[in-house]
Amino acid sequence: MLAIENLTKRYGSVAALQDVSLSLERGEFFGLLGPNGAGKTTLMSLVAGIRPADSGEIRLNGAPLDHRRVEQRAQLGFVPQSLALYDELSGEENLRLFGRLYGLRGALLRDRVEEGLLAAQLQERRRDKVSTYSGGMKRRLNIVAAILHRPPLLLCDEPTAGVDPQSRNAIFEFVQRLNADGMTIVYSTHYMEEATRLCSRIGIIDHGKLLALGTLDELLQQLPFAEQIRIARNEETAPHLPAFARLGELVTMEDAFVLTPDADTRLSDLFGLAEKIGLANRHFQITRPSLESVFLHLTGKTLRDA
Amino acid sequence: MRSILILIGNELRRFANHKTGLALTFLVPIVLIYIFGSVFGVGRPGGGGPTGISLAIVSQTDAPVSAAITDALRKEKAFKVITTQKDAAGIEQPLTEAEVREMMRAGTLRFALIFPTDTQSDQLFGLKVKFLNNPRNEIETQTVTGLLQKTIYSSAPQALLTGLQKRGADYIGQENFDQFNQSISKAVAQAFGGNAEDIYKDMKNGVVNFGQSANGSLFDSLIKIESEQIGGGQVKNPMATRSVGGWAMMFLLFSLTAASTSLFEEKKAGIYQRLLSAPVDRTHILWSKYLSFVLIGLVQLTTLFVAGRFLFGIDITTNFGNLLLICLAAATACVAFGMFLAAISPTPSVATGLGTFLILTMSAVGGAWFPRSFMPEFMQHLSPFTIVYWAMEGFVQVLWANCTTRELLPTLAVLLGIAAVVNTFSVWRFKRGNIFE
Repeated sequence: MLAIENLTKRYGSVAALQDVSLSLERGEFFGLLGPNGAGKTTLMSLVAGIRPADSGEIRLNGAPLDHRRVEQRAQLGFVPQSLALYDELSGEENLRLFGRLYGLRGALLRDRVEEGLLAAQLQERRRDKVSTYSGGMKRRLNIVAAILHRPPLLLCDEPTAGVDPQSRNAIFEFVQRLNADGMTIVYSTHYMEEATRLCSRIGIIDHGKLLALGTLDELLQQLPFAEQIRIARNEETAPHLPAFARLGELVTMEDAFVLTPDADTRLSDLFGLAEKIGLANRHFQITRPSLESVFLHLTGKTLRDA
Repeated sequence: MRSILILIGNELRRFANHKTGLALTFLVPIVLIYIFGSVFGVGRPGGGGPTGISLAIVSQTDAPVSAAITDALRKEKAFKVITTQKDAAGIEQPLTEAEVREMMRAGTLRFALIFPTDTQSDQLFGLKVKFLNNPRNEIETQTVTGLLQKTIYSSAPQALLTGLQKRGADYIGQENFDQFNQSISKAVAQAFGGNAEDIYKDMKNGVVNFGQSANGSLFDSLIKIESEQIGGGQVKNPMATRSVGGWAMMFLLFSLTAASTSLFEEKKAGIYQRLLSAPVDRTHILWSKYLSFVLIGLVQLTTLFVAGRFLFGIDITTNFGNLLLICLAAATACVAFGMFLAAISPTPSVATGLGTFLILTMSAVGGAWFPRSFMPEFMQHLSPFTIVYWAMEGFVQVLWANCTTRELLPTLAVLLGIAAVVNTFSVWRFKRGNIFE
């Protein structure tokens, strides 16, 4: 469906994307995971045709992507990170406008707008100005505005930014339904929970480079360890951290310390040390590695710190 | 108290860092104070009032009074006296009345003074002149009329009495006339005081101090100024015609500049990302903005003139087609100005600040608030570089002089030319800039 080869983009001296290559199959739900400033939006905007690449190629259904070709643009839907809606217009007027820009007319346009309002759960507020909508309503409308023309490929650039958990769930369900109906989705996020929940395949990006690519299991298998130990972050454990750090790599998180044991470290070494210093078992929790662990392993930092 | 001081310091630091705020606080008022001060004569040599108004003088007589008044008018800073123009061979030739009338009809001249062949005659003691005017600016015309009367009334008496002395001497002989003057001088000296010899010398030289009487009934009856209006005779309310045009232009510039700076808001909202991912490119966005703003501007100008029709009785129906044409050209130029501001400004607040400064300055210098001739001459030279000036010219041509479309073409060409040049630059800037990034 979509093939990206050696895509590079620079802004002055800053390399926003460096030799990024990936390909997507039809019907995939692909996640692009990375911190703010990693290059996710740049990659999305190059595919969406908002700005040109410095080098590299994007192919859509086997043909080089040429944004001057209307029929190719119609293959794409783009949900920008910002709420790209006209506040002075109603939700219905916004949808009609964006539908018409994609060439929808007459009964087809009316039907698609109705379907869009229904999907965004905005039928009751259809004639209200967008400026009066809640953040969640705007986000839903933002997505719907991108799919009125039923594009086979939808690019979602952090579509849940600034949304409350309830609205976020509604958006998850909405894009999952679209994917279930056959739409290929590229979904960028810096929340590993979103990528884990939604995406069948994930690309991890940082500093403009695609660091890893695969399903969640494939990414986890790249890790040289099978489990991690979370050590509670409190006054009792804090004085003994240097001792634990000798058993592996210790990273400070918001609410805990995460110890990734060295290859030759055994759990009995850890618990032996804990017993020796007099720390109870309740301070320790053995966990399976997550996407966060993969990101940490690849970049040496957490997603939140990046 | 410490908190207040910290917050005061913070406010002042923020204010100092806000360049647009600084400009609006200091630069704009200073420029406007200077313009208004100049109009009212503050700091100008010779005080306020108009300067450099073209006044053609045609003399069809060799009466000395003609030369005397012409010389006096040349000394008035309000007037730029024109008495000749170059012929086809490039040689300066005295102006004729027909040429002057044609210039006034064409709008290149608004005031002329004609000394007819019977300016002064042997049969009549007095003076007769013709004042031709195109009073498309009422304030200016009233001022010019007053200045002209003042100059004629103050310079004509001496010329008239010199002529009278000559005619008296011719009539009764120089010797008899000298005796007559000496007798009168003694009588005046006895009745009113003074030296009879000095009075005699003054009388002989035609110098008589009439004081207040120069403006009184004596000279009103001796000096006959025939006033004739050339052009715009049917306009009911010339002052309102000009005022509505001037203020409408200023508000058009404000509204269209504000509309153009919406480019920043749409960029911030991410609208361009969505539009550019659709089958829309940058050129489509710019043209749609441009044409919609031109349409809004056309509607705004037309609405304001229609309001002028109902409020002040401005006649907009007689030449309505041409009024629409000039409104369209003015709106096109104003939108170009707004897009230019958006193209060169890094932020909306800079565009707004710069826009306010330029719009107020252009409105003042372009003649939207008061006649250009009231400003210092260097400012008058700047007027033709403003959109306001050319739009005002167009409005006056349509509503005052009732010009045809053909006659309007040069003004339309200038306005559209300004729009084309400014737009070309703006598009170049937009393509290089990051408004769509």
